[in-house]
Order: sequence, then structure tokens, then C-alpha cells
Amino acid sequence: MSGDHHDAFGQGPALRVKALEALLTEKGLVNPQALDAIVDTYENRVGPRNGARVVARAWVDPEFRKRLLENATAAIGELGYGGPEGGHLVAVENTARVHNLIVCTLCSCYPWPVLGLPPVWYKSFAYRSRAVSEPRAVLREFGLELAGDVAIVVWDSSAEIRYIVIPERPPGTDAMSEDELVQLVTRDAMVGVAKVNPVARPR
Amino acid sequence: MSADRLKELVADGVLDAGATFSAPWEARAFAIAVGLCERGLCQWDDFRQRLIDEIRAADRETAAGPSQEQPYYQHFLRALERLLADKRIVMPRDLAAKMHELEPPKSS
Repeated sequence: MSGDHHDAFGQGPALRVKALEALLTEKGLVNPQALDAIVDTYENRVGPRNGARVVARAWVDPEFRKRLLENATAAIGELGYGGPEGGHLVAVENTARVHNLIVCTLCSCYPWPVLGLPPVWYKSFAYRSRAVSEPRAVLREFGLELAGDVAIVVWDSSAEIRYIVIPERPPGTDAMSEDELVQLVTRDAMVGVAKVNPVARPR
Repeated sequence: MSADRLKELVADGVLDAGATFSAPWEARAFAIAVGLCERGLCQWDDFRQRLIDEIRAADRETAAGPSQEQPYYQHFLRALERLLADKRIVMPRDLAAKMHELEPPKSS
């Protein structure tokens, strides 16, 4: 088979996918309604809100945090999150001294059940090729300048292990409830390209 | 070059946050791959290996020259087609025939 891009995509990808779906449907191997449900799940139901709930729970519940760091798949399962591409989840914790960053250097492995599908930049050659070799420079491009004495640990995801970063709880949030904390946690913080910022609250 | 590219992508992050897929066909290709795996008709690892191969080949081109990085879902779709052909579920000629049936070339 030729690997020539023009051969493979001489006709638009939309038509190719339509034809694939039609053939697979005729063979009884896929069902269009089931495909609709999968799209709906990943567009509307699974996303970083799940991960934010996990992080907020870890911030307010030390016992949960302990279980999460010991066995993230099980602890995250307690909150009802799981499914494909979440087989073996590992939670890594940021501290004043250690900052964690996740990448998939080979393709696009990502903890779907807690973060949904990865953003475009996560799948880009630029991010995949540089996150391991020059993480500090990459973080700077995301606007995150870390102090020189903070160690950066980069986790390369694989089919077997998907990571989620548990960011540091920002100062000044002691009085906030778990639900309020959920609102502060961003996708980027759980990938490790950002920190969680406290919200300036009106006095 | 790649530093600038990452900055661009990060700047696009706001748009990206709202849309999981940038075109309906991307969502459909994704759902087909997940759906086949959910039904046990293929293994995600088999798919992933082909995706890695496609991305590695494209990375070599991106690293070598000024060519535009191809969108991720083009790799994804190519990997899916390879997997289906390797498993003899959908052969390239059958795919070509179905495409022709759905949308005959305008010249004919």
C-alpha cells in the first residue's frame, strides 16, 4: 500500500469517513445511533469538569487524596468516572518543590475519563517533541515561570498509564467549599502547563 | 520554528477549549474507532500502534522541512483505515467503491 498522502486523501476526509461508516453499518459492525452516543459523550459529558471534581475532592478530603495517590483508577472510580482510555490512571501531586507535567510523546494518550479528549496543542509535534527535553521553556510559553529551585517532572503517557496532575491548592481558598473549588481547577492545571490561581473575590 | 508554532497553538487555546472536534468527520472517525473497540472488534492498542506509526512518519516531515503539520485527525483516519484493512474488515478497494457510490466524481 502506498503511503502517499495524495492517494490517501485525494478525496476529502469527510467522504472517506462517510463511506467507512456506511460499509461498517452494512456489515452490522457499527450502529449510527451508537456512534451518535459516543460523540455526545465526548463532546458534552466527559471533560475536565470530572478532573476538577477529583482535584477539589483531594484538596478537601485528605483520606481521598491518600487513596488517589495510591490508586488513582480506584479513587476516581469512587466518583463514578472511568471507561476507555482510563485503564490505569496515576495521579501525580504538585508541591512547592516539584511541578509535574504530562505529555504523550508518541501519539495522544490522555486520561479521557477525567479530562476528556486532549487539546490541539497537546497533540502537536511542538509540544510532544519539546516537553521532555526543555520543559521549563515550554512552560514559559504557556505563561508559567517556575522558580529555579522547583524540579519539573515530566510523565510520558502510554497505552498502559495515563496521568493527571493534582495541582497545589491556591492560598486564600480555605473557606471555599468543594463545589466552589471545582470552579477554580482548569484543564491546563491538570496537564501541568498552568497553576491554579485563586479567584479575586469582591470584598 | 517549533517554539513559534507552540505559541500559536497556545494562543488558539481559547477556541480549542470549546470544540472537542474541529469538523463533524473528526467526531465520526473517533466514534467509529471507539465503537469498534467497545464491541470487541478491535483492540485500542492495535489502533494506537498504527496511529503512532502515522504520527512518527508525519513528525519526520515536520522536523525536516517547512511543510505544514497535518491535522491530527488525518493521522487518526489513516490509522483507522489501515487497521480495518489489516484486519480485513474494510479493504481499500471496497472503501474506494463506496466513496464512488456516495459521491461519483464530477468529471463522469
